[in-house]
Amino acid sequence: MRQAWTIAAKDLRLRLRDRSALIVGIIAPLGLAAIFSSIFNPIEDFDFSATYAVLDEDGGPVAAQFSAVLDQFGTGTGSDIRTVETRQEAADLVDVEPFSDEEGADAAFVIPAGFSNAALSADPAEMEVITGQGGVGAGVAVSFAEQFAGELTYARIAVSSFEALGGAEDRLAAGQRALAIPAPVSLEEIEAANKQLSNKTFYAAGLAIFFLFFTVQIGVNSLLEERHAGTLSRLMAAPMRRYSIIAGKGIMAFVLGFVSMVVLIIATTLLFGAEWGDPLGVLLLVVAAIISALGIMALVAGFAKTPEQAGNYSSMVAVVLGFLGGTFFPVGQAGGLLSDLRFITPHAWFMQGLGDLAGGNVPDVLPAVGALLLFGLVTGALALGVLRKGLQP
Amino acid sequence: MKAFTIAGTNLRRWLRDRSNVFWAFIFPILLILVLGSAFGGSSDPRLGIHNEGDGPLAADLVVLLEEQPGMQVIQFESREDLVATVERGELEAGLLIPVDYDATLRQGAMTSVELVARSAEEAQAISSNVQSALTQQSVVLRAAFFVESEEVGSFAEGLETAETASMNVADVTVVVSSAGEPVGFFQLGRFDASAQQQMLLFVFLTSLTASAALIQTRRLGVARRMMSTPTPVRTILVGEGMGRFAVALLQGLFIMVGTLVFFNVNWGDPVGAAAILIVFSLVGSGAAMLMGSLFENDQQAAGLGVLLGMGLAALGGCMVPLIIFEFFAPTLFQVAHITPHAWGLEAFDVLVIENGTLVDTLPFLAILLGFAGVFYLLAIWRLRRVLTR
Amino acid sequence: MTIRANVLECRDLKKSFGDNEAVKGVGFRIAEGETYGLLGPNGAGKTTTISMVTGLLERDDGEVTVDGQPLTTASVDAKRAIGLVPQDLAIYPDLTAKENLTFFGRLYDMPSGDLKARVAEVLEIIGLTDRADDRTEEFSGGMKRRLNIGLGLLHKPRLLLLDEPTVGVDPQSRNAILESVELLSGEGMAVLYTTHYMEEAERLCDRVGIIDLGEIKAEGTRRELVQMVGQHDRIRLQATGPCEAGVEALAALAVVKEAGVRDGGIEMLVDDADQSLAQILGKVSGAGVTVTSVDVDEPNLESVFLHLTGRALRD
Repeated sequence: MRQAWTIAAKDLRLRLRDRSALIVGIIAPLGLAAIFSSIFNPIEDFDFSATYAVLDEDGGPVAAQFSAVLDQFGTGTGSDIRTVETRQEAADLVDVEPFSDEEGADAAFVIPAGFSNAALSADPAEMEVITGQGGVGAGVAVSFAEQFAGELTYARIAVSSFEALGGAEDRLAAGQRALAIPAPVSLEEIEAANKQLSNKTFYAAGLAIFFLFFTVQIGVNSLLEERHAGTLSRLMAAPMRRYSIIAGKGIMAFVLGFVSMVVLIIATTLLFGAEWGDPLGVLLLVVAAIISALGIMALVAGFAKTPEQAGNYSSMVAVVLGFLGGTFFPVGQAGGLLSDLRFITPHAWFMQGLGDLAGGNVPDVLPAVGALLLFGLVTGALALGVLRKGLQP
Repeated sequence: MKAFTIAGTNLRRWLRDRSNVFWAFIFPILLILVLGSAFGGSSDPRLGIHNEGDGPLAADLVVLLEEQPGMQVIQFESREDLVATVERGELEAGLLIPVDYDATLRQGAMTSVELVARSAEEAQAISSNVQSALTQQSVVLRAAFFVESEEVGSFAEGLETAETASMNVADVTVVVSSAGEPVGFFQLGRFDASAQQQMLLFVFLTSLTASAALIQTRRLGVARRMMSTPTPVRTILVGEGMGRFAVALLQGLFIMVGTLVFFNVNWGDPVGAAAILIVFSLVGSGAAMLMGSLFENDQQAAGLGVLLGMGLAALGGCMVPLIIFEFFAPTLFQVAHITPHAWGLEAFDVLVIENGTLVDTLPFLAILLGFAGVFYLLAIWRLRRVLTR
Repeated sequence: MTIRANVLECRDLKKSFGDNEAVKGVGFRIAEGETYGLLGPNGAGKTTTISMVTGLLERDDGEVTVDGQPLTTASVDAKRAIGLVPQDLAIYPDLTAKENLTFFGRLYDMPSGDLKARVAEVLEIIGLTDRADDRTEEFSGGMKRRLNIGLGLLHKPRLLLLDEPTVGVDPQSRNAILESVELLSGEGMAVLYTTHYMEEAERLCDRVGIIDLGEIKAEGTRRELVQMVGQHDRIRLQATGPCEAGVEALAALAVVKEAGVRDGGIEMLVDDADQSLAQILGKVSGAGVTVTSVDVDEPNLESVFLHLTGRALRD
């Protein structure tokens, strides 16, 4: 074991001297984190609110009811409600470029003349929504209008049934009483724990785990470099077990990965306000992630003949796993096959573990830690088999 | 002519390494496919549903929810799964329909469904949709409740009459129209914006890997040997750059044609699009030559290549559309324009959104050519220094 | 002896790297068909000199003309006349031998037809015809070295510069390399050959410049150098009979600088052992001495170097 440490120490010194580990392990992820956080944060901090125009050509009681409900909705959602006088005015308000500084509205509601009368009868009645160039605000407007129309439809059916069974009263008054009847199915809103990482944390963590694989690869690759340079024969001629060589390389790759992760965690926390969560949970996840990276990168290297080839294969594997695992884009939100497929990558487990930690406690990371360790142990065992065969000068 | 010889050799060596083919052609198209199908265009909120009820009313409710506009519905098999998915932010909200949904309602009693969300704000967009589906479903039931409460009939009588009334009474409907032509990126197809962003990102990123090739040429001593032949430094550099320029061009063309054929992506005027691609590939290869003449170690250059390739692309609007910068962060919008990517994207906007032609993109192309020129000149100056000092 | 044109002339070459004056005013000429050796230990300034001569390195001072044309780092046409064999391999490992040759041939603007024939010819010269289509990364060290040389002589340069071409090469390949250099110089090519192997310089070079610490300490044919530093051939005769008389008889010969009786024989210093040996043996036997064996010890460049610098060549 002493020899393994000697080898690890020598390699660490070499990696520090050659600045690639520094660039791949710290500078690149930190630089990208800085860029990403500057790009994505202004967007996250933005709160959605809409502006709606309403045009009442009807002037009847149902139209007044609508305006009242819309005002209530506006207050509730922090949206602006503006009353307009003509269709042209409504259309102009709506027809603006999205995100321009021009005053505009996301949608306009039009209550056409005669709507109240029609609504109070059993005849078809229509209200209108004019949308602009799309967006969430317009969608909300349509569903709001449809909800109101649905209530009216109900009231008409309820009053008609009431009349059919012999009830006789002013349709407006009866309708209002009908609307006062609560819906038989109520919606109960329940608040769930928040296990989604904030944008700042997501990109810091995603980049850290993405580049971790490259950092570990630099370590693993040194075995092939020794073979290429011929120093491997010299090591193998030394009085020690072959596993000491592999162990030495493993220790070195682990230390490289660990140091870069710790630096990244501290730096992103201090510089970009990333919230990694409980240190113990993070430590468990980081260690497990490094072990998984070690196993996978060693296995990939085992199939390569030259250091260049190993570098190529490893980058391919690391990039594909990274993208699939949702380190750059929250693949989980995509749904479907893609969001299931991501769990074949350690990256996805690492990100999920951090999310679970953010919305829970340290024990919540254990499934993710377990999955990561499983990755590491299975691929590591396979890699040992391959490397032992390949450990010939 | 010699530049072509050097370019040809560079290309030949590039092709010998099969992983290059993966990076240049297979990976980008995969990514565009994945990102396009996952995120392209659709920003509709997602509602997960777990239906424990087995009656027709419960099933109807699910159908009504699925018919709601502006919302995606995903069914879940277990409550835990649904809640966990909501907690992780992979759904905006989850809806739980209870096991006795049908039975309770048929008895004339009230019931409730649960809407799980991480915050009231997030539930908002979806709850109005859910509410309107519930309203639609409960019309007849609610009318029966009304009949009962008005004491003109029993609940059962009410149900029967309301059923009949619902056939005879017309629905109050909502007519949706849109004012003016939809413009801007809302009009873009599912893959359009992402295809252009990815194309520029990859063309630049792949070009930057050429820097490693130049560093290798230097480290192998071949660059010095070339210097000892009657070949000026600029020819060496242009040749090395041209090899990768060809790769970038081929890659860009591949992405353009591939996305055009398979996803029907709109690239605008073909001549204009080709011109942007050519000029942008020049910029990429110029940046690579500059990097290749600045660094001594190809591993370092590869790491920095990823940093620059991804970082500049992110900054230049290849990950978040420039229009969003413009609206949310004007400073960032200005910063974006230190990258060639932003100019390339704006040139594409001219073609795709404004239906412009080559002529309209000329100002942007001129700026991009400026980038390429500066990169190549600096690279030649620097390479002369490192090779002869 | 015909007067041959100088292919390379360089004067007063100077180069410093920071405070380190690597080359302090080196100059020499090489005529066509002549092989000039720069002999010196590692770090003497040989590679720096060759880099300046080939226009690869910006020089601080001095001039280089190749075939009458001045050559600087910015020169293009003048470089057509030179072929460089750099000390470190400069070949593409992922291209085949033929591809490497063809690539560099094109950089010398060789027309395709000629190039094809010439590549085949060079492959023959360097003995790699069988391996022409194999990637060079699969080659042995010696084969790579041979290709490295082949690349330098592809375009039949007027001046071939070989920078320590035999370092780390097996004896067989080394011999092949030396033979091909001899062949080329026989064809009229001017050759600049740097080495720290004294034997190579003695075997190949018509003239040798001894370089140390960035300066040429002495220059000339081997014999000139040897004489310049006052070195003589040493002849030892194992002999019986009146050795004293033999020594006295030798005093009459001008070529004999010193003679004396040592360990049952005669030992003497002479100018040119090859030419005077018969004469000497005649004199000695004339004096009644019976010679049983002759041992001639010619001073070599190693001892010249030692004499000039006070250091051994392979420090």
